Amino acid sequence: MHPSGASLIAFCDAEAGATGSRRIAGHLAKCARCREQLERIKREKNELAAGAAVPAAESRQDLDAVLAAVAAWREGRHSAAAAELRARLRGQLETYFGARTAAIAERPEIKEEELFGKASAMIETFLGPGATEAVWDDVFHGVGWAKAAEETRQ
Amino acid sequence: MTRKRGFDTLDSAPQWILAFGGAYLLTHLLVIYVWNNAGPGFSVRGSSGGTSAFPVTCMAAVGCWLCLLVRRSLPAGAPLRRAWSLFALSAAAQAVSGAAAQLLGSNWMLNPLEWGGQARPGTIEQIHRCALIVGGPVRLVLLAGGLLVALRVLRKFDFWARPTTGDWAISAIVYLFALARFSEAGAASLAGKPTGFEDWVSLAGLPILCVLVLQATLLRQSVARMGNGLIAKCWLAFMGGIFLTAAGELALWVIPHFTHAWGVEMVEPLIGLPSAALLALAPAWLVVAQRRAVKPSSVSAEDEATRVPVLAR
Repeated sequence: MHPSGASLIAFCDAEAGATGSRRIAGHLAKCARCREQLERIKREKNELAAGAAVPAAESRQDLDAVLAAVAAWREGRHSAAAAELRARLRGQLETYFGARTAAIAERPEIKEEELFGKASAMIETFLGPGATEAVWDDVFHGVGWAKAAEETRQ
Repeated sequence: MTRKRGFDTLDSAPQWILAFGGAYLLTHLLVIYVWNNAGPGFSVRGSSGGTSAFPVTCMAAVGCWLCLLVRRSLPAGAPLRRAWSLFALSAAAQAVSGAAAQLLGSNWMLNPLEWGGQARPGTIEQIHRCALIVGGPVRLVLLAGGLLVALRVLRKFDFWARPTTGDWAISAIVYLFALARFSEAGAASLAGKPTGFEDWVSLAGLPILCVLVLQATLLRQSVARMGNGLIAKCWLAFMGGIFLTAAGELALWVIPHFTHAWGVEMVEPLIGLPSAALLALAPAWLVVAQRRAVKPSSVSAEDEATRVPVLAR
């Protein structure tokens, strides 16, 4: 049986315990798939560590800029991220409800917070919280906040 | 968030239901065509009613299971959870009624009550009567209750609209039909003709059917305001199922008045299974919507292509 992702992470962090480590090491010796997964975990850990090594002041500035971009989006100030999010939300509403419902995302008088609040309530009522979480995951997945942050800075 | 995999069978539930309903309908139309050409030498009338009950019962059971799947995904206290509970009960009532009427409520060799002749006199008849009530008015009341809750939710989200003149016209036809049925039963009673138990049960279901038709017209308006998405298709299927049930009742009453060539037993399967299929299609569309939300193909493909680190998401 393959060790779980959590077990591999614990093994990587030397927190799996003596017995657990022996068992995982034994399994890794004969399983290429788990070795590959362990390599990926190590790589991601290194990437995250490299991110953390960035000077604190610079990270703070970046974070502030992203937060400012999010706040600008929530207040309805126009930005590339806001337009992208509206378009994504429109697509989701069109898939689940239909074109007429999706048209609310095109109304400029509705602010972002109100629009997303209404859409969230609708999706949660009809599809349930699990599906709603996944829909929001899709809407916000890979949004260009960094670009929006640049715009906000300027 | 963890994406689940392996939903392929449920993802294509609407297609399966449509394919089965379509194949069944085509087969029956073919049988009717053959019967019309073969004439009385080919006895279809005696068997078609019995053969239709099993697929309808199975379809209702599938509908009940799909309703329970939708209900399970909604948290306790969610407005639509109660509606889906009622829809599940309605489908269960149809399935249980069908199974009880066919298996225990009929005098045939597979009825366990018939084995050894241990059944008390009248037990089979009582089971048959109970099955008629559960599968008729009780099922319709549960369906109407669920739709009432659903319409309230649709109204809350501004999808609700007043019925149009066309909607009122369709409803009026059903109301007139109900009135005609009651008048006919009243006239028969005054003339001293006894009204059978099946007729009483059918009459008891008519007022509920009138309410359901009104609800279906409201659903039609709501869907028109919503669009053509997966959730809209769910309510559209409910609307279709109700209209078909009402149209079936009307056809079963009208046909014997005008022609004796087509027996009720021949027409019943043409309505029973399609309406059960449409009612099962409603939760199937919602299940598809939920699965699609949890497992969107675009994101999975993107993740595979760009190798977005799972831990970083």
